[in-house]
Amino acid sequence: MVDGLARNRDKGPLTMVANQYDAIVIGGGHNGLVNAAYLARAGKNVVVLEKRHVLGGAAVTEEIFPGFKYSVCSYVVSLLRPEIIRELNLPRHGLEILPLESTMTPLLEGGYLARWADHDQTRRELYRHSPKDADAYDDFSKLMYQLAVAVKPILSMVPPNPTSFHPRDLLGFAKLAKHFRGLGAEQFHELYKLMTMSAADYLDEWFETEALKATMSASGIIGTFLGPRSPGTAYVLLHHYMGEIDGAMRAWGFARGGTGAVSESIASAARSFGAEIRTEAGVTQVIVKNGKVTGVALENGDEVHAPIVVSALDPKRTFLGLLEEKHLPSDFVQTIQRFKIRGSSGKVNLSLSELPDFTCLPGVGPHLRGAISISPTVEYLERAYDEAKYGAFSRRPYMDIIIPSMIDPGMAPPGKHVMSIFVQYAPSDLNGGWDDSKREAFGDAVIDTLARFAPNLPGAILHRQVLTPWDIDRVMGLTQGNIFHGELTLHQLFCMRPAVGWADFTTPLAGYYQCGSGTHPGGGITGASGRMAALKVLKDRSW
Amino acid sequence: MVTNKYDAIVIGAGHNGLVAATYMAKSGLKVLVVERREIVGGAAVTEQIFPGFDFDTGAHRVGSLHPNLANDLALKRHGVKIVEADPTVFSPSLDERHLLLWRDSRQSVEELRKLSKADAEAWVPFQRLILKAARLLQAVGLVTPPDVTASDARDLWTMLKLGARLRGLGKRDMVEVMRIIPMSVSELLDDWFESDVLKGTLAASGITGMFQGPMASGTVHTFLYHHAGYDAGVIRPTTRVQGGVGTLTEALASAAKEHGVLIRSGRAVERVMVKEGRAVGVVLENGEEIGARRVVSNADPRRTFMSLVDTVHLSPEFVRKVRNMRFKGVCAKVHLVLGELPKFNGVPEGSLHLNGIVSISPSLEYLERAYDDAKYGEPSQRPYLEISIPSVTDPSMSRAVGHAVSILAQYAPYQLKEGTWDSDRRDALGDTVVQTLAEYAPNVRSTVLQRHVMTPFDIEETYGLTEGNIYHGEVTLDQLFFMRPVPGYARYRTPIEGLYLCGAGTHPGGGVTGVPGYNAAREIMRDERDQKLAKRSVTSVKQK
Repeated sequence: MVDGLARNRDKGPLTMVANQYDAIVIGGGHNGLVNAAYLARAGKNVVVLEKRHVLGGAAVTEEIFPGFKYSVCSYVVSLLRPEIIRELNLPRHGLEILPLESTMTPLLEGGYLARWADHDQTRRELYRHSPKDADAYDDFSKLMYQLAVAVKPILSMVPPNPTSFHPRDLLGFAKLAKHFRGLGAEQFHELYKLMTMSAADYLDEWFETEALKATMSASGIIGTFLGPRSPGTAYVLLHHYMGEIDGAMRAWGFARGGTGAVSESIASAARSFGAEIRTEAGVTQVIVKNGKVTGVALENGDEVHAPIVVSALDPKRTFLGLLEEKHLPSDFVQTIQRFKIRGSSGKVNLSLSELPDFTCLPGVGPHLRGAISISPTVEYLERAYDEAKYGAFSRRPYMDIIIPSMIDPGMAPPGKHVMSIFVQYAPSDLNGGWDDSKREAFGDAVIDTLARFAPNLPGAILHRQVLTPWDIDRVMGLTQGNIFHGELTLHQLFCMRPAVGWADFTTPLAGYYQCGSGTHPGGGITGASGRMAALKVLKDRSW
Repeated sequence: MVTNKYDAIVIGAGHNGLVAATYMAKSGLKVLVVERREIVGGAAVTEQIFPGFDFDTGAHRVGSLHPNLANDLALKRHGVKIVEADPTVFSPSLDERHLLLWRDSRQSVEELRKLSKADAEAWVPFQRLILKAARLLQAVGLVTPPDVTASDARDLWTMLKLGARLRGLGKRDMVEVMRIIPMSVSELLDDWFESDVLKGTLAASGITGMFQGPMASGTVHTFLYHHAGYDAGVIRPTTRVQGGVGTLTEALASAAKEHGVLIRSGRAVERVMVKEGRAVGVVLENGEEIGARRVVSNADPRRTFMSLVDTVHLSPEFVRKVRNMRFKGVCAKVHLVLGELPKFNGVPEGSLHLNGIVSISPSLEYLERAYDDAKYGEPSQRPYLEISIPSVTDPSMSRAVGHAVSILAQYAPYQLKEGTWDSDRRDALGDTVVQTLAEYAPNVRSTVLQRHVMTPFDIEETYGLTEGNIYHGEVTLDQLFFMRPVPGYARYRTPIEGLYLCGAGTHPGGGVTGVPGYNAAREIMRDERDQKLAKRSVTSVKQK
């Protein structure tokens, strides 16, 4: 605050007024914080308003039970843009990412399939299941790596507007066309296939081992309301080759101190640039005076004023929740109403008295320091999806599990452990709606499924936290509990995210901007939206 | 020594093969069409399965036929009389809230009022959007897919023209069209409508022939594709030909002959002759060799490259692409002779509901569940049925007592989880279809006089369609336009010089459209011209 005032002084009389800023950022999620950091870095007087008592939004660490720290929602880091880590100097602000070593998939009929950090070890393991796949895996990885490199620039590019004849937009598309033609026919066609095919169909062209195809396609369904056989799920395979940690491609990592530490480091960077960050300051409304935003109203009745308001919330909340319809064109309102944002995933966090003992790979081993994927076959995943299609949660769900205390002992008391279980599918529009008893039933289904692979687990549980889409909506403020702020389907990507003509982080309302995952490039802890939105604000406004 | 008796040989007298042959002959080529079966028409034929009863044993609608072709080839003069059924589609539901759609949108709106005020309100704007999008697809259909990564001036020009056309829709519609094409029909329809039977019945045309449910991305494209033909503008049109679909292909054949095309049916091609990487003719099953400067295959890509051509002439990469092309047939045909017409609960006597298609598609969930069964290798317990009773409007189809009923049933996956399509499976499928229909029209159970069932396996056997896929390969987003049939070879030419494709396996795809054949002929004539020019310049150089 002091820092903030100090800045105010050389900003002329206007900003002397209390609660008057250059820009307000609604929501202290990672994108909001990144956005504020970049605005503050450019010398703007910025305030971040977070509804909860803790920063980070869905990228948060909470000590729900004494001594046990949970990465409540988001639990791995990989896509955080390197330029952000660099430009905000996040390591100096405490960001330390520990690599996740492996992925282990228990099979239904016993046995397992693992992929290790060490290439040769993985190759031997795959060979054990299928020599053909062991060979294909290398070619596949090579291709994915090349394609990932080709796609990356697009993730940090402001999508041009296809309906505009503005030179900037025409140039944008010309650049894009040039970029894709530069790939050459083979790569372009593969990329096109990835964008349009189902993960299962695409992997069928490469591999024969069920568990391998299932575990890889599982990454294509995370956070979506789609099954591995749904077109459009193949694209996400690329993301696993896009991750960049300490310059090393395609590594998934875990932040020391949990995912919240990522948000904390960004917040600390933002503060160091002079940004003010307020928690328990929920915004109820964006104030509009003659067609311009002038500030926001808080839950406690206070008003905060600024000519620029940037919303890090999802499009539904940003446009339908905080604004009265009359301030927006009716076409636009309809588009946002039709924006697809069904939630499909839940989260179960456990405190454990002992480590899970997997029948297929008994005892403590490196497999417990990596991801454990409950995805034995493509059919298993597809059937889990079928249940959700008709409004039930999966009785036998897909799970992506990590044991943070194995990577960072600080996450749990000595000798004890925490387990993070990402679960799919849990439809936001559950038949009859969610309630406490259904939440527990959902939690039971998860534990029951897991017990088939690690029988000692139920007996080892000290505490259990279950989050359904309903909880994620109410607590984290993600509409319908959609972890990506809107489904990542073809018609909601790039220049169509969240709406054609408004994919450049601006909105139809002067001074109002969006910087959440509901904008390009979409979900995951990338920070890209927050950064690009900030640069857009700074470009638009000549203060 | 084989001499080039012909400029071009077309393998297969399906409707696209006949169209290609005719356009080549019109431009002065000497063309031979070789057909394996005794009758021409491929999967667009009318056959008398039971004495006195004619059935459209393959396609039983021609609504996708491109309007230009009918005029170009003077099909009327060759005996084609298009029947535009009205009402276009009747869709019963168990709660007797039936759906009836008409060619005239005002009539449809009236009908929809009975189901939902909101849906009645939404109908006209919805139809308007669909028409716009469909017209765009119609234009795209007539374009030779550009070579995306190395486009020449001509490609750039066509892309610019399409781009202009897209922008020509106006900002609002352009945005909407771009948005909906990759969507799933269930997403689109949930945005517009509330009544289940309406959503189910519209969605049905987005999944017809597809190994996908209404919740799959891209099914909106399929829906639009089925509205981009002869009848663009009418939603779920039922367009038939007087005397059956076979009349259309016979007319195409007679138009072809009129332009000097020679058609030899009952002659199966064994393989394509290739010399020094160039197609030089075909060998028939009886060993006869026929030479030609060009060979044009109306067979699907898998069949063309995996059985008609010796793969030694193809690169491993190309072969892999052809193997990866997805076919996954899901359609069965059931042909019934009924003693009396189906009586649907709650439908007044003397109503016209049987004129068009009867669609068993009570809801989106009904279709999705039908797909779920197929996904795991089982035929749908309650399949989607597209029922056509042409004799209601065209008595010539049933000359004996009773009615010939043609039913397209989905899903019947070609690949079964256990076993194969043997006669038991075939009978079980027939029973399922009749029982499903009987749930809505109970009298059917007791009035079936004759039954003929074609599983995907039978469809493959009879028409030579790989895996019984009625589109010569799935019409999914990843197998469209410059990706059809395989990336890099979407321009009707193949890795073998002088060998062309003209079937539904090429852009724009399946259905009785005639467009692939028309486009292929255009490309072949381009190559003809280019070669002539090349020759001329060579000779002129010699003279100097």
